[in-house]
Amino acid sequence: MSYCVNCGVELDGTAHACPLCQTPVMNPRQPVDTFSPPPFPTRRKEVPPVSKRILAVLLSAMLASAAVCCGVLNLVLKPELHWSVFVIGAAIMVWIWLVPPLLLRGIPLPVRLLLDIVAVGLYVYLISRDVRGGTGWFLGLALPIILTGGAVVLFLGLVLQNGKRSILSGITIVIGAAGAVSFFAELFVDRWLYQCWTPEWSLIVVTICAALIVPLIIVRRVPSLREEARRRFHM
Amino acid sequence: MPRQREDHKDWYKLDNAGVLYTALQKEEYSALYRFSAVMDRPVDPAALQRALDKTMPRFPSFRVRMRRGYFWNYLEFNDAPGPFVKEDMSNPCQPVRYREDSGWLIRFFYYERRISLEVFHAVSDGAGSLVLFRTLLAVYLRELGHEIPNTCGVRDVDTPPEPEELEDAYARYIGKTSLHGGRERTAYPNTGTPEPFYTLNTTMGFVSVAQVKEKAKSYGASVTEYLTAVLIQTILDKQHRENPRREKPVALAIPIDLRSFFPSETVRNFILTARPSIDPALGEYSFPEIVAQVHHYLRLNVNRQRLRAVFTGNVRYQSNKLFTIIPSIFKNRGVSFVYKSTGVRPYSGTYTNLGVFQVSPEMAAHIERMEIILGQATVPRVHCASISCGDILNITFAGTLCESDTEREFFRFLVREGIHVRVESNRRCDPKGGSPCPTA
Ligand SMILES: [Zn+2]
Repeated sequence: MSYCVNCGVELDGTAHACPLCQTPVMNPRQPVDTFSPPPFPTRRKEVPPVSKRILAVLLSAMLASAAVCCGVLNLVLKPELHWSVFVIGAAIMVWIWLVPPLLLRGIPLPVRLLLDIVAVGLYVYLISRDVRGGTGWFLGLALPIILTGGAVVLFLGLVLQNGKRSILSGITIVIGAAGAVSFFAELFVDRWLYQCWTPEWSLIVVTICAALIVPLIIVRRVPSLREEARRRFHM
Repeated sequence: MPRQREDHKDWYKLDNAGVLYTALQKEEYSALYRFSAVMDRPVDPAALQRALDKTMPRFPSFRVRMRRGYFWNYLEFNDAPGPFVKEDMSNPCQPVRYREDSGWLIRFFYYERRISLEVFHAVSDGAGSLVLFRTLLAVYLRELGHEIPNTCGVRDVDTPPEPEELEDAYARYIGKTSLHGGRERTAYPNTGTPEPFYTLNTTMGFVSVAQVKEKAKSYGASVTEYLTAVLIQTILDKQHRENPRREKPVALAIPIDLRSFFPSETVRNFILTARPSIDPALGEYSFPEIVAQVHHYLRLNVNRQRLRAVFTGNVRYQSNKLFTIIPSIFKNRGVSFVYKSTGVRPYSGTYTNLGVFQVSPEMAAHIERMEIILGQATVPRVHCASISCGDILNITFAGTLCESDTEREFFRFLVREGIHVRVESNRRCDPKGGSPCPTA
């Protein structure tokens, strides 16, 4: 029998190294036993991942039936308005949000969010085609807002993804992002409606966000305050 | 409470512990544990399967599958063929899948001389499963032609199960007053780098019961108290080496078998946990002081009245009308969230000592030793468990993290205390001495 020179524990005859500290076994009097079976099996096996196909099929069926029913109803009820397009579009959007993540495992988060944003964009485009005013406002107003919102969501997703950040910094980043979105939203609305930028309500929102963030950053930076916040909120 | 019907479609309400363990169930996590018996010669799988087929009817509460109800999950009698004994693999205690493997929540494995039983914790606790395991081993040895009496807790497989064995003992012993402990402080987490799914690094140490008992006695403590103190000391030292700005308390979850306080023959869950802790922020504790703290904490806090008040509170919560009408999917999320703050954060780890595995001399002659593995924790940290049979005490560390600091320092501590330790592991050791993780 061999002992680990580092830990002083007796090792199994088949061990090449100490399982505790990885120190190799070098015993000239007794070479490592390569014939006896090791203490644990070496065959790896893994349970299969849980199948989410049933849920995906059920969701698809529900959304499809809602879309088809509304489409048929539209033929009788106010056929001059293509109102069912909104429902069908919404069903497609929700399907893109929910079903691919169920079927395809391990889609990276950015790809998933990108897909979701594209779905929103498509849906709004579909609406714009059917609303008075045409697609002009889509390109001029909706698209920039969706893209900005999408970029911010993507940023949040990437930054908060691994959950390594503290709750405090998480909240700070989310509030900051909300301020940024409202700022750009007003910018695009003003540009579309008045062709000139006169910040009003977004300034109020941005000020409130900043006012919320500053104390958070102070608490985050000062260790004693941070410790106090942890204690109060059991973080 | 089984419904007695002709077609045996009994069902069981989950007990208090079962509600928690099913709420925690996820694709990559199940609350599982494993018992193994290392026999005197290689296992005969056919004889083991025959023994299993004879034993299972005696234990209907293990012959179940999980059903999702609208408000509560429940266990339903499983009439599928099986369970079947399987060849063992290197990564034990894998998560259960309610819809696969015919819905079995228990598994049986064999490898060389080792027979293993894995149990989903919602079905039964360690003491309950050991009754099934002991009976299975007795029937298996009879299949091999040995004369084994129905003594030392071996159940007669030719008799029907006693109603008391299937009872929800929490509900039976529920008291009038409930005790809700305040929020416990966040403990040093003792977590590490997670391994990819699915790896459970298991390291077993084998020591002499007599040697440990003598050592524990020299500190005026029991084996459980002594080993708990060694583990606390190990984790305290580890935290100290990391040199944090402020040291957190080190606290362990110690499951207490309630059967010794409230007589019950139940083979379902009947446990609570105690929480001995040491706060290094108050100053340095010497090892004998830690042993004394653990010893007195357990003696002071683990008593009939207090335990009853605690589980009464837990059961009341479960039978709360408002809580009951929440759909089970939200209820499970809620329970799982509460568990994070009350069952994970205040603890640095778990240590459970199942004590002596009692068998008759006829059986003891064929069982070399017993082993226990606690399955993965909800976070990458090691769990520690021990069980003894004869003079061999098995202490197992298992976790989904790649570092081996905790077990290494624990066993080195025992060696320094003058206790002989033999170590076996399923970790893949690189013969060239390279290791996936930095080690000291
Ligand atoms: Zn070593």
